[in-house]
Amino acid sequence: MDDEPAAAPTGTDIRLTLPARAENVALVRHVIGALAEAIGAGEPLIEDVKLAVTEACTNVIRHAYRGTEGPIDVSVTPDGDRLTVVVRDRGQGIDVPSSEPGPGFGLPLMAALAEDLEVRPGPDGDGSLVRMSFRLAGDTLEPV
Amino acid sequence: MTESPVARTDTAPEETAISVASGPLVGPVLRRVVGMLAARARLPLDRLDEAVLVADVVASRAASHAPEAVQVHVSTGDQTLWLRVGPLRSGGAQALLGESPVPDVGSLIIKLADEVHVDRDDAGGEFLRVRLAYAG
Repeated sequence: MDDEPAAAPTGTDIRLTLPARAENVALVRHVIGALAEAIGAGEPLIEDVKLAVTEACTNVIRHAYRGTEGPIDVSVTPDGDRLTVVVRDRGQGIDVPSSEPGPGFGLPLMAALAEDLEVRPGPDGDGSLVRMSFRLAGDTLEPV
Repeated sequence: MTESPVARTDTAPEETAISVASGPLVGPVLRRVVGMLAARARLPLDRLDEAVLVADVVASRAASHAPEAVQVHVSTGDQTLWLRVGPLRSGGAQALLGESPVPDVGSLIIKLADEVHVDRDDAGGEFLRVRLAYAG
């Protein structure tokens, strides 16, 4: 097995579609870790990306489907010195008040961890879409 | 091994669908997803290792037979893991089942899997379906 990190491919992307369940957050984190290691991203950045993606996926699981089953789509695209992660659901959308309000830390945390954050309705008008962009060579949050 | 026509393009609720653009990321991503889902399916460690080995074979060979990205659907049952690889170009499924470069080993996938099927959809794409299970 070759242990050398792969060169960061331009335009390469990974797409995962899986049931929006809590246990699958670990799977998404695992894939982010595999990708980040393969392209040679530093450990602090990997942890930032994993945490931000965990928050986005947790929002889908808690709020998107109101107790029914539905998919969560995660796509990851390394492009030069940037890594873009899109988390999408096909649930009730971001304008519908949630029946399970959380502490409200998710979006501020994602905004702090990512270089760019966009939250909007899905492209077909259903569900929601969170797009986060990270700079591979950039700074990360200082440990508290 | 059996061959049958199939026309499935959607993701069933219990499935995990992975699509990785052909390139160096296929192997690292696929082996982790398959390993994690094999563990979740309660496959014992030796079968989990073999499932990851099958994922490695798929990762190393599928890219040259997949139009743009290697696509794999993984579904799990009790001590059972299904992999569905495709769509692949015509002949792609047989290429995945080809012999290992290690002498006298033969086809790793056929050797390790409990079931192997080659399906085709209406658009002419090929799919390789592999079941790995633990009989106890």
